[in-house]
Amino acid sequence: MPKKTIAVHTATGCRTCELALLDIHYQVQRLHRLADIVYWPYLLGSQHTDLARLDAIDVCFFAGAVRTSGERRMAEQLRAKSRLLVALGACAGFGGMPGLANLVKETGPLQAAKSADAPLDPTLELPALEPQVASLTQVVAVDYVVPGCPPTQNLVWSALQAVLGEAGSQAHLSYAAGRLPKKVAQAMASGVPPPRGTVFAGEKAVCASCSRVKEQKRFESVKRPYQAYESTGRCLLEQGLVCSGIATREGCGGLCTGAGIPCRGCFGKPEAVYDPGAKMVAAISSTFDAEKPQKIDAVVEQFLDLAGTFYRYTLPTQCALLNIQEKG
Amino acid sequence: MSGFEPKIIAFLCNWCSYVAADAAGVSRLAQQPNVRVIRVFCSGMVDPGYVVKAFASGADGVLVAGCHPGDCHYIAGNIKALRRARLLEKLLHELGVEKGRFRLEWIAASESPRYVQVINTMCDEIRRLGPFAKPAGQADPAVSVASQT
Repeated sequence: MPKKTIAVHTATGCRTCELALLDIHYQVQRLHRLADIVYWPYLLGSQHTDLARLDAIDVCFFAGAVRTSGERRMAEQLRAKSRLLVALGACAGFGGMPGLANLVKETGPLQAAKSADAPLDPTLELPALEPQVASLTQVVAVDYVVPGCPPTQNLVWSALQAVLGEAGSQAHLSYAAGRLPKKVAQAMASGVPPPRGTVFAGEKAVCASCSRVKEQKRFESVKRPYQAYESTGRCLLEQGLVCSGIATREGCGGLCTGAGIPCRGCFGKPEAVYDPGAKMVAAISSTFDAEKPQKIDAVVEQFLDLAGTFYRYTLPTQCALLNIQEKG
Repeated sequence: MSGFEPKIIAFLCNWCSYVAADAAGVSRLAQQPNVRVIRVFCSGMVDPGYVVKAFASGADGVLVAGCHPGDCHYIAGNIKALRRARLLEKLLHELGVEKGRFRLEWIAASESPRYVQVINTMCDEIRRLGPFAKPAGQADPAVSVASQT
């Protein structure tokens, strides 16, 4: 069987997802045997002209959010050429941190930059900014989403195996069977790509795989990760830290919470959660005990930047209020 | 905005506010007909997700009403509603939803005139605000100040 061809591209993002593709331990040696990398600007210095020469690509890993018209064109071009398009990471999948720009009205620096004088080199033409930051999934049809910021090793490797049609080793199969949705595990075992639209992560919330103990205790005041708290054992939310575990899809195995860092929500929301912000409001407000209105206000005042915290990686796609269709 | 009629979703608690709304109807108190009432067993059971979903599904305003503090049929459900409402108000404000579209009120079973007054003032206020549209985000003061210097 001829080797499959892979393309990797990052739009608005930090390129850590590209590093995550290589951060697969010794399996990285097998990657070359599974596939030919035909376009990867970060690693191979590929140019746009290299992409233009390609007729078709088997699998394209696209990371980063879509912020400019140039990135939109790139996404459309890669979609047209690729048999399978994989949104790699939270930015491509849900909008990611660049998506938080949608919270701010266009005033100040952004407008100033748009209306600034001509660039220093008049032959250069800057691509226009899109009105809103979008995820790859909002711009073109995407076959699979591999969430995470960046996606974790095991998920990246299982996604690679599944989309390249390569049956995995026993160890990886048992990982897939235990942690990933059934259809992904089946795809890996059979070597047939999973159904379109599959998210390479679990189905429940992070709390399901978190090692911490919930004691039905309430917190008195809000803490932030630099302040002193019990870094082992007890549920972080019950200690007053804003941990997004309950509104976030599992699959990471509770890596951050296991190390004592509150969940930041990089896997997006699970299917069963309607709106991650509303879910977090519900979770937090039943975990503090204040009864007098003044005391409640005092606790609420301690929370900083709720929208930026609850929709940290998902604002363009998963915030119900920002995704209202115009009334017809 | 002459033809605009607001849609308001009201989550009323079974033991106080719903009785007040019922009594307001029986006593023929004049009230604006823009309210869709949903009876819930306690204001403490109104998940913030319901409120967000109401807005996302076309409501222009959401009212949650329960018993006065200390009168809750389930001891402290209304206090739970208060904690949620304060946090939710903060989140909605950050997303750019105007103040006044979401309200939490305490209305006892005997306070039907108060129910009518809350409904009418809320309708007037939302009529003034216009239809609920996708929040356009907030002008971040920090950003605007930086641009001026």
